[in-house]
Amino acid sequence: MRYRVGALALLAVAAWVLPYRLDLYAVHVVDVAIVFALLAVGLGLAMGIAGQINLAQIAFFGVGAYTTAILTTRAGLGFWPAAAVAIVAASLTGLLVGLPALRVQSHYLGIVTLGLALAFVNWITNAAVAGGAEGISAVPVPPLFGIDLASEYLYYYLELIAFAVALAFGLFVVRTPLGRRMRAMRDDPLAAAAVGAEVPLLRMTAFVLASVYGGLAGILYAGLIRYVAPETFSIANMFLLLAMVIIGGRRSLVGCVVGALGLSLIREALADFATFAQLAYGIVVVLTVVFAPTGLAGIPARVRDALRHHRRYAAESATLQPFQPFDPAPEASTVRPAVPVLEIRNLSKRFRGLKALDNVSLIVAAGDIRGIVGPNGSGKTTLFNVVSGLYKATGGQVLLDGEVVSGTRPYRLSRLGVARTFQNLRLFGNLTVHENLLVALDRTPTRSIWRYALWQVGVWRHDHELRRQADELAARFGLENFVEAPPGALPYGIQRRIEIARAMASSPRLLLLDEPAAGLNGEEVRQLAEIVRSIRDSGVTVVLIEHNMGLVMSLCERITVLASGAVIAEGTPAEVAGTPAVIEAYLGDSAIVDAAEPITSESAG
Amino acid sequence: MQVFFQTLVGGLSLGAIYALVAMGFSLVYRTMGLVNFAHADVVTIGAYVASTFYLSARLPFVLAMAVAIVVTGCIGVVIERVLRPLENKDFDLMLIGTIGFGIVLQALAIMVWGATGHAVPSPIRTVPLEVFGVHIRTYDLVVLAVAGAAMLALVQFLQRTKRGAAMQAVAMDHEAATAVGIHVGRSNAIGFSIGAGLAALAGGLAGPLLYVSPTMGASLGIKGFAAAILGGFGSIPGAIIGGLAIGVLDAFAAGRFQGYSELVTFLVFTAIIMIRPTGVFGEKTVNRA
Repeated sequence: MRYRVGALALLAVAAWVLPYRLDLYAVHVVDVAIVFALLAVGLGLAMGIAGQINLAQIAFFGVGAYTTAILTTRAGLGFWPAAAVAIVAASLTGLLVGLPALRVQSHYLGIVTLGLALAFVNWITNAAVAGGAEGISAVPVPPLFGIDLASEYLYYYLELIAFAVALAFGLFVVRTPLGRRMRAMRDDPLAAAAVGAEVPLLRMTAFVLASVYGGLAGILYAGLIRYVAPETFSIANMFLLLAMVIIGGRRSLVGCVVGALGLSLIREALADFATFAQLAYGIVVVLTVVFAPTGLAGIPARVRDALRHHRRYAAESATLQPFQPFDPAPEASTVRPAVPVLEIRNLSKRFRGLKALDNVSLIVAAGDIRGIVGPNGSGKTTLFNVVSGLYKATGGQVLLDGEVVSGTRPYRLSRLGVARTFQNLRLFGNLTVHENLLVALDRTPTRSIWRYALWQVGVWRHDHELRRQADELAARFGLENFVEAPPGALPYGIQRRIEIARAMASSPRLLLLDEPAAGLNGEEVRQLAEIVRSIRDSGVTVVLIEHNMGLVMSLCERITVLASGAVIAEGTPAEVAGTPAVIEAYLGDSAIVDAAEPITSESAG
Repeated sequence: MQVFFQTLVGGLSLGAIYALVAMGFSLVYRTMGLVNFAHADVVTIGAYVASTFYLSARLPFVLAMAVAIVVTGCIGVVIERVLRPLENKDFDLMLIGTIGFGIVLQALAIMVWGATGHAVPSPIRTVPLEVFGVHIRTYDLVVLAVAGAAMLALVQFLQRTKRGAAMQAVAMDHEAATAVGIHVGRSNAIGFSIGAGLAALAGGLAGPLLYVSPTMGASLGIKGFAAAILGGFGSIPGAIIGGLAIGVLDAFAAGRFQGYSELVTFLVFTAIIMIRPTGVFGEKTVNRA
């Protein structure tokens, strides 16, 4: 830590004395490079952190610069009032460009944002108010307490301070709840929604953040060059910006800055060989995506990984600590309320012609452990997907504590107390185990992000509290040895346990477990049964889909059997196992004998 | 009325070019699930190669086109081969990789042919047909016919040949395709090179209609993409319909909004994507983008 503070102080001093060592032209080059670094931070937030392909960053830049230029030269506004309007204009543009992200992602989003950027260039080249192809000159020098900002030396300090604040804010966002949610959404939007992230709002936030950085860069650019013209905001420059972010490392804001500064300076050095420079950076982009997808910023981690190969093995062989049971719920709440926690009424789900669920009705009382079994393709996971809001039901209703919740979005259901795990593990791959828990622990609605603008201390305190809770939760599930590891590097059994811990992090009332025992060995299955019982005893109702009949028979009080999307039997394990329809549809006659055996004998053998 | 039809004819002929570009996008998408952002610059290269061989080497136009198609086909193979490690892993990175190739191709075009463009005379110098006072250039008809023929050939290839079916299988499930013995890399390479060949066809034919310059691909590329979306991404007949529709929209927007025609086209295009991302003939063969 002390080492870091020292390095930072050294960097600050170096940045402060830099102009003393540079001639006028060099300072100009550095000033322009800082503007690009700001733009790159914004693009990094949208693309690297939130995973939203944004090829309109250059248009946000343009909106900021042109608004400032038009308002100061045509409307006679002062520079700073014009700048304030410019930030608002840029963020509105960000909202507009972000709208398509609600409907489309990835390639489509790339082409739409690119199209909108071209539309912007088309507008500024033609509009009389924007000065057409000649652009607008004679933008006034920004006044600042009598400091003469016409001097590019002094302007450097203005930019430096603005840039330092903007970068610090960006890093703050990335490391606190908002940025974690965005990164979770980037890694897996479905799972992020299931743990309570409002994906649409987060996508818009990402675009607005990017546009504010773009707008700020535009204002600084207008004040620096004091002349704006369409060619600065061309698609060629957009791709240059993209190259900066990709080469620097899109997932690290510092990487984006390094890429932006580096590429700006190299481009300046090769100004006489512009075409060769373009060829070179194009080639570097291609090589980067193929050989170093995390860019320059990712290289230290890759080198470290290569050097410490055996130490990572040591981490993998570190064992899971034992699970520490939850505190049982107080007596008063174990009296079962009359209203069931989950009630499903005549639920149907059709995929075109295929009836995945056909008139399914189901009641799960509070404090139950309910098993759902059935052959593959019988609609079990579809049922979970409908209950957790990932699918919209074709007909019927889902009630939670007596309230109709069918058709509610996944993040709202998460807020209402529904948590789930996934059959094929959906952990956030580029987040650490600790961060996976943190994302789910955070229960604040996304709209409280206003605190980022006005009350950062509150955000910081909240984050601190979440981290304490995450440590507690990790300790409870015996995960202390793995908190800093990326989940993908851990053995399967541990990943399964992390998913349950993440689901429990949202303090649910109803927990849906989709095949929690798949791929676990006998001992792990025994531990799982212990965990599920403890979760139930703490007052959470559990519904689980499982193929391991031993586990289902010993753990669940009641079992529902699905076949071809319909309920064919329901009752206690013994009742269900004796139903002829079940034997015919699923178990087969010899399976009954094994299935009825209690789970303890299985793990002993 | 005469102006209306004249605009319509102009729009249809450019629309046929957009349709060819759109088919290239759609084919690559249909066989790989990838949108090739370098496509626009492949169009530029195709246009330059065709016009250079036609003007400087004085080859017959058809032969010059053939050379261009072969050259761009090879470029397609190179792009696919370099980006192959990313296939079926990270589509966003692949997209950025194709942008990188676009940057490279544009720089190469400037190095070889210079930053300024050149005009290409029409290879067919007959007097325009006159139908009810509307002038129709023979060349426009040729362009339309070529686009139609290319569509028919592609549909036949994808639906009737074993190779075409295999290529679509790869896009749907590359693992299953590998399991039944399809060489995924080779299939993708073929898809990519046919796509690039279509780009050269579009660029070469566009030469005499437009002005050949290093940036001509950018506008053709994005309009071709809009056309592909409009017709339903991945659908070959949809690409034709979408291309002609965008061409006509473009022509009328140019008449009505002059310089702002691009702005209008892109705003309409954005609105369409938001309302109906699958396009008019949308098929959900691949669900990746």
